[in-house]
Amino acid sequence: MSQFVFKMPDLGEGTVEAEIVAWHTAPGAVVKEDEVIVEVMTDKASVEVPAPVSGRVISITGAPGDKVAVGSPLIVFETGAGAAAAAPASPAPGAASEPARSAAASLAPAPSAGGAVPVAGAAARIMTSPANRRRAREAGIDLSTVVGTGPGGRIVREDLLAAAESTVTASAAGATSGAGGAGMSRAAPAQRVEVPAETSETKVIGLRRLIAERMSEAKRTIPHFSYVEEVDVTELEALRAHLNSKLAKGAPTLTYLPLIVTALTRVLESFPQCNVLYDAARGVLIRHRAAHVGIATQTPEGLKVPVVRNAQALGLWALAAEIRRVTERARANKATREELVGSTITITSLGKLGGIASTPIINAPEVAIIGLNKAVDRAVVLQGAVAVRRIMNLSSSFDHRFVDGYDAAAMIQALKELLEHPAMIFIPR
Amino acid sequence: MANMNMIQALNSAMDIMLGRDPSVVLMGEDIGYFGGVFRTTEGLQRKYGEHRVLDTPIAEGGIVATAIGMAVNGLRPVAEIQFADYIYPGFDQIVSELARLRYRSAGEFFAPVTIRTPCGGGIRGGQTHSQSPEGIFTHVSGLKVLMPSNPYDAKGLLITAIEDDDPVIFFEPKRLYNGPFDGDPAKPAVPWSTHAKGQVPEGHYTVPLGLADVVRSGSQLTILTYGTMVFVALAAAASLGVDAEVIDLRSLIPLDVDTIVSSVKRTGRCVVAHEATRFSGFGAEILSIVQEECFWQLEAPIQRVAGWDTPYPHAFEWEYFPGQARVATAIEAVMESA
Repeated sequence: MSQFVFKMPDLGEGTVEAEIVAWHTAPGAVVKEDEVIVEVMTDKASVEVPAPVSGRVISITGAPGDKVAVGSPLIVFETGAGAAAAAPASPAPGAASEPARSAAASLAPAPSAGGAVPVAGAAARIMTSPANRRRAREAGIDLSTVVGTGPGGRIVREDLLAAAESTVTASAAGATSGAGGAGMSRAAPAQRVEVPAETSETKVIGLRRLIAERMSEAKRTIPHFSYVEEVDVTELEALRAHLNSKLAKGAPTLTYLPLIVTALTRVLESFPQCNVLYDAARGVLIRHRAAHVGIATQTPEGLKVPVVRNAQALGLWALAAEIRRVTERARANKATREELVGSTITITSLGKLGGIASTPIINAPEVAIIGLNKAVDRAVVLQGAVAVRRIMNLSSSFDHRFVDGYDAAAMIQALKELLEHPAMIFIPR
Repeated sequence: MANMNMIQALNSAMDIMLGRDPSVVLMGEDIGYFGGVFRTTEGLQRKYGEHRVLDTPIAEGGIVATAIGMAVNGLRPVAEIQFADYIYPGFDQIVSELARLRYRSAGEFFAPVTIRTPCGGGIRGGQTHSQSPEGIFTHVSGLKVLMPSNPYDAKGLLITAIEDDDPVIFFEPKRLYNGPFDGDPAKPAVPWSTHAKGQVPEGHYTVPLGLADVVRSGSQLTILTYGTMVFVALAAAASLGVDAEVIDLRSLIPLDVDTIVSSVKRTGRCVVAHEATRFSGFGAEILSIVQEECFWQLEAPIQRVAGWDTPYPHAFEWEYFPGQARVATAIEAVMESA
């Protein structure tokens, strides 16, 4: 028998940490190689991590919502002959994963104050120094939830600091009260707040936490200004209807989106200052020749922004197919990290819920976001007469640090002109 | 101030006390006419006379017993046991009579006896000239036990011991008589004239009992030691580049628990080092105190460096002596991430 420490794998270029979404195993469980043991999330994508070896799980690091650094121990297996037999009392793998799943599921109504969920079956004596035991006690950390990285699996001070950090993050995000785990301070352990039965608490973890962090960051650091313009899409609608009428039966119908994305890529050729990523660390604006268009997409988990790469190079049908592909993968929670990063400008649309005007938040580090409002038939004055026209508003936000109001308005007007004369979208300048 | 080695400092202490207090007498084997085998009492019989500086028979039991009798009757004897290895014939007198006199007489009688004795190895002295029996005496209730590591402390502590009204066993690490020794026998000897603690006031001064000396302040670990091992510990810590706090206990009884505890609570790591054998050694007592007082601050198990549990050998002295390498190993163990 020997121990195998499985560390958080590198899940993609530049990934430094990943968040535990759900455990599919628990200490004491016996797992087979390649069986999915944990679902983790990087800053964009969810990944199901398979077991690298067969063996019995001795300990796991982190509760759902906790972030684990790439390269830190994630799970400790007992491997080799006898690993499975050594746990006669442990339930079968399938059954063993149930408590972990239900623990994750039950997090929403009843978050634990410490954030870390005590794992079952940690019967062995915990190895750590008296000083660390004192620190854990004072910080309200349950040592049985901490995986040791020291010699012989001993819990060293760094492990405790990491655990304290995740406790702080989790408790802050979980909107639980009390000073528990505030750094390594000598504050009293967290006290549970009495929660009236009429309310329920939801721990802000996973994608929701990520969305929250990104939105706050973008709204806090970027001086947004929004610009709303009315676009007459009567001709665009006619083109769309015509194209759809030519489709084979059962083929997916064309929406406005591929047409608008195509128009946008044309406009960006003249307004490259809107197709920019701002590298705040270096204080550099990175202008992109290619238009990688983010498509804000509502998914069961929350807002995601899958990316259509090189949208400027795709024909209308290919673009439509690609938009469909990436958004469907995002909705099915199957998008890879690569499919969720690297956009240079974003389009957001609520379709039938689009409303009259909106003030979209920029998908940092981009500098512009184009919002589509609902297309409706309106009575408008056209050449002195009232006419029924299909009108769609564009509500767009810009980073006023880098995009002047004049340029933003000119860009939207150029887009409006293309959309109102859709043939121009396809005619080279 | 004058440059003194430890022998000269001890000689100065006794000279001053003989001059200040007519009740002080020196006694021991070859200490008078000859001036002591280590020359510690050189010139004192010539200066103060045969009735103040007495040559005794080779009978340690008799030396101690006579000193007790003199002390009870008003004198302040300073008895030399030529080597600590020879102290055992006097052990019954020390334990059964000297240590208990004040207790047994309900305070009516007391015995201000100081027993000086050279201890420790590193001088190719073999089993009969190298022992460190301090732990045997620290186990006896009623004794004070001192072991200076340098000339300044030696003189100040010896004057304190002589002036003290109760018995003091005064151990002199003989390897340190002529200079600080870092445990490396291959290096040329270093004289005390090169060391700050070799600067000794010529007149009367005292070093208080029960006060440890922080010889090096540090933040990463605490090394608790005394006698010869002070300089070995300093050198070992320096060789590893660790920021060690090195504490010279120098007064084993009474022990400066406050200094020990406050240091270990701060550093969280502790090494105890002495030259004496390990099992039931004085280090075990220090370790126990640290465990009791500092447990919740400890980052790692306390390490102990000591002589092997054998008689002091004639051969392989430097394999026996707990030199820098063994102290360094203990430091590394205690610094292991925790």
